[in-house]
Amino acid sequence: MYAIVVATNIGIFVLLALSLNIIAGYAGQSSIGHAAFFGIGAYTSAVLTSTLGVNFWLSLPIAFVVTGLIGALLGLASMRVKEDFLAITTIGINFVVVAIFQYAPIFGASLGMSVSKPSLFGVKMDNLMFLILVGALIAAMVIFMRIIEKSWFGLALASIRNDEAAASSLGVNIVKFKVLAFAVGTAVAGLAGGVYAHYMTFIYSSDFAFLVSISILSMVVIGGIGTIRGPIVGAIILGIAPELFRFISDYRMIVYGGLLVLMMLFQPQGIVGNGSFLVNKFEALFGKGRKKSVVS
Amino acid sequence: MGDMLTVKGLKMYFGGLKAIDGIDLNLKEKETLGVIGPNGAGKTTMFNCICGVYEPTEGKILLNGQEIQGKKPFEIARMGVARTFQISKPLRDISLLDNVVAALGIEYNKGFKHLFAKSHSPVVVDQALEILERVQLLDVKDKKASEVSLGYLRRLEIARALAINPKLLMLDEPCAGLSNYAIGEVIDLVFYLKEQGTTIMLIEHNLPISMKVSDRLVVLNFGKKIAEGLPKEIQENPQVIEAYLGEDDEDA
Ligand SMILES: Nc1ncnc2c1ncn2[C@@H]1O[C@H](COP(=O)(O)OP(=O)(O)O)[C@@H](O)[C@H]1O
Ligand SMILES: [Mg+2]
Repeated sequence: MYAIVVATNIGIFVLLALSLNIIAGYAGQSSIGHAAFFGIGAYTSAVLTSTLGVNFWLSLPIAFVVTGLIGALLGLASMRVKEDFLAITTIGINFVVVAIFQYAPIFGASLGMSVSKPSLFGVKMDNLMFLILVGALIAAMVIFMRIIEKSWFGLALASIRNDEAAASSLGVNIVKFKVLAFAVGTAVAGLAGGVYAHYMTFIYSSDFAFLVSISILSMVVIGGIGTIRGPIVGAIILGIAPELFRFISDYRMIVYGGLLVLMMLFQPQGIVGNGSFLVNKFEALFGKGRKKSVVS
Repeated sequence: MGDMLTVKGLKMYFGGLKAIDGIDLNLKEKETLGVIGPNGAGKTTMFNCICGVYEPTEGKILLNGQEIQGKKPFEIARMGVARTFQISKPLRDISLLDNVVAALGIEYNKGFKHLFAKSHSPVVVDQALEILERVQLLDVKDKKASEVSLGYLRRLEIARALAINPKLLMLDEPCAGLSNYAIGEVIDLVFYLKEQGTTIMLIEHNLPISMKVSDRLVVLNFGKKIAEGLPKEIQENPQVIEAYLGEDDEDA
């Protein structure tokens, strides 16, 4: 069914948007080449299963770890470059990574990579099973992020996001927490990549191009950066819109870009971010029932 | 008994600019040392060297006899040196309560053991509330730091500093930019901390305030210590009078 295909695709982008939110939202690091890590995870698991014959279910955690380790390196690098320069550096990393996919023979170079659909309990996974897998991963991610928001980890990231000098004066080891944020955020993107590769059964370098990074970032920002619901809503809206309105599909990037600019101008909290028009209206109607968390 | 803090031959050069050019000083336990001097004298730079923001060009800084120069700010904070900033640095998008809890995290941010543990446990929240009460911020504890005025932020920074349970509290112009009323509140707080036996190093540009609060004063000018002594002695020191008369009234 087509709806399942669309929903799975959107689900993968929900995971990507949530994972970017840990780096960009919680830790406040302008990392805007997130698709690079999506790709690293996809190609890692693809090479593992199709070239090395590793089981799909084993390839996922390996993709998670490998991508997280590479992300941790970026976290270390982020100590040397700040803000705008970090943004530019991450864009550069995205281009370099895509170039490697495109030219390295191990990654199929310009032919891309084919992988076969994995099995679960001896049954070839169909689209519905992938949708369930993605849904389960999203659920786990949401629980994980709720834990982060209430934890010392989340509070340390909040202090770094607000003021690094203040954070250090309070005993926060900036290097440690930035590296952790990058490692965790990129690892989840890598995991999403592993799922994506085996769901699509074919990956090509341009699946992970900079434009894809912009899509992920748009989802986070348009939904509401720093919250859990924001990236989810953003990914759903930006994922469904092109399906509903054919013309958006043709001009997808123009629409995303335009929306991004409009949001920045009129609703920088995002559609459902804290303090946004919608959330304020909702709270006015139903009262501030829930206790605010520290991170969002 | 040894000194809590000893600074020996401290130099901090920024390129050709000698912001600190050979300073020696010491600070005893439970003492309040006032640091005064005209704008640009090097007061904040000296604080930044002690707190690890800058690695000194030369010289030694000892905390209870242990060399700390060149250590990272977070390490020095963990050794018990707390500070406030001349230009206040609140954690803007979280509440005042969360700002203080974040500082209490100094105990929990070590290693990985408490990484995913709940930050706002009843014990921690109680500690934070107690500190907020001490600095009289209890009634605004749920406001975001971006929503309160400078007088509150100055006291919030003191609250945060207290939350790391400091051996040495370093205050960088805690009264700058405040109304007379707010200045009074900060001074009361400093007196209270003195009574509690807190060791304090206070940069205060305003001479009358400094004279009133400090047990002892050092005077900096052009990166050098030009005088040291009891408030009364400093008041009558011709070099100090000249340094202060020679400067603009404009505060930086
Ligand atoms: N990071 C820096 N880089 C270059 N020059 C600096 C830096 N920090 C301070 N200075 C200079 O050092 C001198 C002392 O500054 P500062 O310590 O802030 O003075 P004070 O706090 O006594 O007013 C000033 O001339 C200032 O411009
Ligand atoms: Mg200063």
